[in-house]
Amino acid sequence: MDGVHDLGGMHGFGAVVVPGGEAVFHDPWEPRVFALYLLTGIEGLGGGPGGRATRERMEPASYLAASYYERWLWSAEQRLLRKGTIAPGEVERMMERLAGGEPPPRRSDPEQAARAAGWLREVVPLRPAAGARFATGERVRVRRMRPAGHTRCPRYVRGAAGVVEHVRGAAALPDAADAGADAPVEPVYTVAFRSEELWGAGEEPAWTVRLDLWESYLEAAA
Amino acid sequence: MNPEHDHDDGHHRPRPDSELALRASALEALLVEKGLVSTDAIDAIIELYEHDVGPRNGAKVVARAWTDPAFRERLLDDATKAIAELGFGGAEADTLVAVPNTPTVHNVVVCTLCSCYPWPVLGLPPSWYKSPPYRARMVAEPRAVLREFGLELPSEVEVRVWDSSAEVRYLVVPMRPAATEGWSEDALAAIVSRDSMIGTAVPVAAGPAE
Repeated sequence: MDGVHDLGGMHGFGAVVVPGGEAVFHDPWEPRVFALYLLTGIEGLGGGPGGRATRERMEPASYLAASYYERWLWSAEQRLLRKGTIAPGEVERMMERLAGGEPPPRRSDPEQAARAAGWLREVVPLRPAAGARFATGERVRVRRMRPAGHTRCPRYVRGAAGVVEHVRGAAALPDAADAGADAPVEPVYTVAFRSEELWGAGEEPAWTVRLDLWESYLEAAA
Repeated sequence: MNPEHDHDDGHHRPRPDSELALRASALEALLVEKGLVSTDAIDAIIELYEHDVGPRNGAKVVARAWTDPAFRERLLDDATKAIAELGFGGAEADTLVAVPNTPTVHNVVVCTLCSCYPWPVLGLPPSWYKSPPYRARMVAEPRAVLREFGLELPSEVEVRVWDSSAEVRYLVVPMRPAATEGWSEDALAAIVSRDSMIGTAVPVAAGPAE
């Protein structure tokens, strides 16, 4: 979807290098949310669409105001509610209990810990690309589009022409997968774009940008 | 975050950390109480990324590539397989591609749509990598961003930005600095910083690793 998460090329966000920017986590609750979020996925406790597509649906002002792991917390909660794993109001009631001094429950399950470690070690490479429409070296153009749902085709490359540099493999089209449809498996291409094509000429020396794009995002360029 | 905020002044305000901490604890407590999630599984995941999986893994990969030309070739051919030789691999590096810096090409990685990052070799990303300014600017003004990191590249070098928003994850293989002849693999790994494998820095022979 064309949300505020699709940040490539936007102005106004200021400096990249800022105090505190080196830290992976800022507060002790953040690594716990990171782990809890992964576990809800590994254990199948959340309902679709996935966490990334869920976070993209966050109201834009809230998305930008929220910290990174605040978005993960929010998306974990949304997915748990969707699946019916938790009911509306349950989190708030637990917040009251904990705020009232009740000690948080603890539970041991070494099998679950082992399952999580195994899942995190698992490697699922792209599938082989069969019947790829475009070949390495071919010029392609990214289709104009305005998808309402999840996509991996950022706005800044739409309409731009580039060159196929690699046929990386094949994967389910995320746009369809996150809509819950039977997602077609499509070739994924690394396409190289020149900076002038994306942003026009500037004062800096030209650069190139490469992205991995699914076949249905592309059309042959004249 | 609850979508139904009280906007008494019409402006969004971030929630105080204490409320977020309480909400995070409550969600964990709720799932633990329901018997769906275990405290030790959460602890094990945190432990994994705090101690075992981090940029030292990637530094070992780079140092091996610097000292073993056959490994470098395998790494550039299929990084997923090559890092498995060193015991690395897993979630967020299912399809890993290693991109080598050369005297004429400097690679740098970003994820404009979210925060894609090769966990098994670099660990979890620093805040700046996930921040709106980095995601917005790296594809559109890479040299200005690199200058903020203190990296000024000659104008004839092609800056090659990889927007890893899809399924492939990228690891930058920096150039081995001159004056490191005869260094051991461990000594070389020590000068390979996390940022040099993202592409916002280059290794320096003299200074300590970040």
